[in-house]
Amino acid sequence: MLQFLVRRLIGAVVIMFLIGAFTFFLFYTVPQDFAQLSCGKNCSPENIAVIRENLGLDKPITTQFWEFMRGIVAGRDFAVGHCSAPCLGQSFDTGDFVWDSIMDRFPLTLSLTVGSLVIFLVIGLGSGMLAAWKRGTVVDKAVSGASMVLSSFQIYFLGPIVLGIFVYSTGWMDNPKYVPFLESPIDWAVALLIPWAVMATIFTAQYTRMSRSTMIEQLQEEHVRTARAKGMPQRYVFFRYAWRGSLAPIVTILGMDLSGLLAGGVVTEFTFDLAGIGRLAVDSSMSKDLPVTMGVMLFGAFFILLLNIVVDLAYAYIDPRVRLA
Amino acid sequence: MNPIRSRSARAIVIAAAAGSLALTGCSSNDSGKDAKDQSKSKQDAASQSKPVVYGDAGASTGPAAEVPGAKPGGTINIYTQSDLSHMDPGQIYVSDAGQFANLVHRKLTNYQEDDKGNLTVVGDIATDAGKSSNDGKTWTYTLKDGIKDEDGNAITSADVRHTIERQYSKVIFDGPSFVQTWLSGSDYRKALPDGPYKGKHLPDSVLSTPDAKTVVFNFDKPRPDLPQALSMAGYAIVPEKADTKEKYDKAPKSLGPYKIAEHKPGKSLKLVKNTNWDAKTDAVRHQYVDGYDFTTTIDQPSQTKRLIADQGEAKNAMQFTDSVDPAQTSTVIGDAAVNKRTIKGYQPYVWQMSFNLDRLKDKKVRDAITYAIPNQSMIQADGGKYGGELAGGLFAPTLPGFDATYDPFGKLKKPNGDPAKAKALLKEAGVAEGTKLTYAYSNTPRGQKQMVIIKDALAKIGFDVQAKEIDRATFYEQIGKIDNGFDLYMTGWGQDWASQSTVVTPVYDGTLVADGQPNYSHINDPQVNKLIEEALVLEPEAAAKKWEEAHKRIVEEINPAAPVYYSKQLQLFGSNIGGARYSTNSSYIDINRLYLIQP
Repeated sequence: MLQFLVRRLIGAVVIMFLIGAFTFFLFYTVPQDFAQLSCGKNCSPENIAVIRENLGLDKPITTQFWEFMRGIVAGRDFAVGHCSAPCLGQSFDTGDFVWDSIMDRFPLTLSLTVGSLVIFLVIGLGSGMLAAWKRGTVVDKAVSGASMVLSSFQIYFLGPIVLGIFVYSTGWMDNPKYVPFLESPIDWAVALLIPWAVMATIFTAQYTRMSRSTMIEQLQEEHVRTARAKGMPQRYVFFRYAWRGSLAPIVTILGMDLSGLLAGGVVTEFTFDLAGIGRLAVDSSMSKDLPVTMGVMLFGAFFILLLNIVVDLAYAYIDPRVRLA
Repeated sequence: MNPIRSRSARAIVIAAAAGSLALTGCSSNDSGKDAKDQSKSKQDAASQSKPVVYGDAGASTGPAAEVPGAKPGGTINIYTQSDLSHMDPGQIYVSDAGQFANLVHRKLTNYQEDDKGNLTVVGDIATDAGKSSNDGKTWTYTLKDGIKDEDGNAITSADVRHTIERQYSKVIFDGPSFVQTWLSGSDYRKALPDGPYKGKHLPDSVLSTPDAKTVVFNFDKPRPDLPQALSMAGYAIVPEKADTKEKYDKAPKSLGPYKIAEHKPGKSLKLVKNTNWDAKTDAVRHQYVDGYDFTTTIDQPSQTKRLIADQGEAKNAMQFTDSVDPAQTSTVIGDAAVNKRTIKGYQPYVWQMSFNLDRLKDKKVRDAITYAIPNQSMIQADGGKYGGELAGGLFAPTLPGFDATYDPFGKLKKPNGDPAKAKALLKEAGVAEGTKLTYAYSNTPRGQKQMVIIKDALAKIGFDVQAKEIDRATFYEQIGKIDNGFDLYMTGWGQDWASQSTVVTPVYDGTLVADGQPNYSHINDPQVNKLIEEALVLEPEAAAKKWEEAHKRIVEEINPAAPVYYSKQLQLFGSNIGGARYSTNSSYIDINRLYLIQP
């Protein structure tokens, strides 16, 4: 296990380096004068030269790359001060350190992810299992029908409807916003309830369908039939044998969904006017703020790699047949 | 005030692109409402186009006149779709940061606005708008007593000198350069390369501070516009001891009624009362509310939805510099209760079809295109009557000397153009059917809609229009190149203060043709250049004739840019906001006099 973990972590570092190098050279070699992009109304050649110097764009590209990579490990100095490791550079647009911007936005993204995750896992997996257990009954048909309808919804469709009803028309709730968890856990939950509910509705539908189908598959497996034939209690067979076996594909999809959510739920953030990682990515991309775009990209890549490793480890726990050698 | 050059300003223009073909869905009752709204806007424009008065010590003495019914207390919520581009006053040159500066920063001079929108330049931290001598080449300012920064440090003439001199350094690259250029020429940075940061200063023959209360500016030519230039946020005071150079942009010190309590870049900004601001020293600002909470992530449609709904915290909220969402304009105007929570008026921007004179050399061709442009359709693509108004010339209604009847291309009679006349001109010019024209446009929704209109209109008079879409982030960079490869493109420009000099000089002065400069048409007419040179050294009223002459020469004799429309502003605020009015100075909600009806 340890050997596997070390090997995967080294691989992840190499992949991160390659992604960093690729995106850096891809972005920085495009024929675009970023100094001019950052130049306001008073855009004289002298001012462009000043901006170029301030942004470090007057240095050779290899020097810029070296400074960028070194900054990730050892930090960097900018005119506005020292950027501690892991330093992902300085925004062309705002002058803020990219890592600080990401860390400032991450709590919201994490809150959205965790809150919705709890809801959709509990309800999604629960209702899927229930439907599988009650296969062919009214309960199964109702759960399957509802999940079919809800899975066709999108956040940008459902979000404005929920806002329209609960915020704009009735005034029962305020517009969603981020309140730090440590400041007030209750306000934190209340302020994010609408986005959680909307995100969870869509994900719940998907996980209900997935969990139902994988459970039904598992319930038809030979080892489950054997367990039943041996006279094991139905509940024991269901949870100990079938449910555990059904988790592997769900964990795979969950890993992918989580990495996507942690890298930034763009649609959710824009629908509810929230400022998380997703909005940072889009805003930086729109304003051609390449250090920020690169930083967010690396941050997202980090979560994808991390969750891949976690998923692989989870496989070993869920299914003892899987060897991590 | 070209609003499109900087990153944040782009968002403002996109927001200002209030479009509403949906307006056609307004009920018949709306026509009376519209007429009333248009009439109010024209009254405001009339105030804006009057020559600005320079106020004396009496007018400059605080406190500002009380706003009737105003109560203290409460917090106003501000909705914006992007963060401020800068907070260091030296870097501020666009509208959103300018509005912010009104709350936080103070300058030598400021604009005072009366109930009818008439503007007077008064002393802000100075005792008056300035005293000129030496035929207008010398301006002397005396500082008021009791001016302090947020830490309680008294502001002296050394701080004013520091404010001007730091603009010469590399720390500042985004703000205005009028005063530095007037003092030290276009290569002003060479006069003080490190600014004041290495102990050097401008010579007393340029800028002197004979005592702690007096600042003297010495120019080589008369500079009658100095009081107005110094009222720009870009020249707000940066106390010498508080200056942290580049870091100052993140945490500036306040001299105004509010100071920064917390700033989360790209997310939020919280302003609270500055207890060291003394109302008795300020003839313009108030401090009725306890603070302002900015949320800088709310896009234009959401701002409008929230403010129409007027629920909860939205009752205390307002748009800052964004406009009403074009798709919701009819809802706003059609609902009397919502409509009364709006301000309407002209923005200082004139949208024009700039011709690349290096490529479109024949004036008859340029005139033909001008006649062919369907101005009214272009306005519809940018918000209808609440987004713009048909332009006859290149001076906005907010400029002194604006003449609403000026219409050399007959657009008031034929708002959708005169294709027959255009065709006749092309025939005279010998332009063959199917001649190619390259039209560059920005990939904004407005730009895309207008591209279809232009392509169609010019095809009708025989051109084969090659439309080149340019990313909105790089649009002005692309068309700002001398050798840009395009024949025509839509550009917008607005005044820096109520003087034609801030429009004619940057956009139509041939001596300023260069890559990255706003002379997008590359006009270089000796007569226009001479008129500009002469007008710049005259007092505003005397200069007005020169500017008018230059304007007519530009529009009628050269036609480097077809006037298309004047942009307009429509903003919403919550039902608990009191004192809201259109400001003829900022062209937005007057930020200086707001209060909460129920604090």
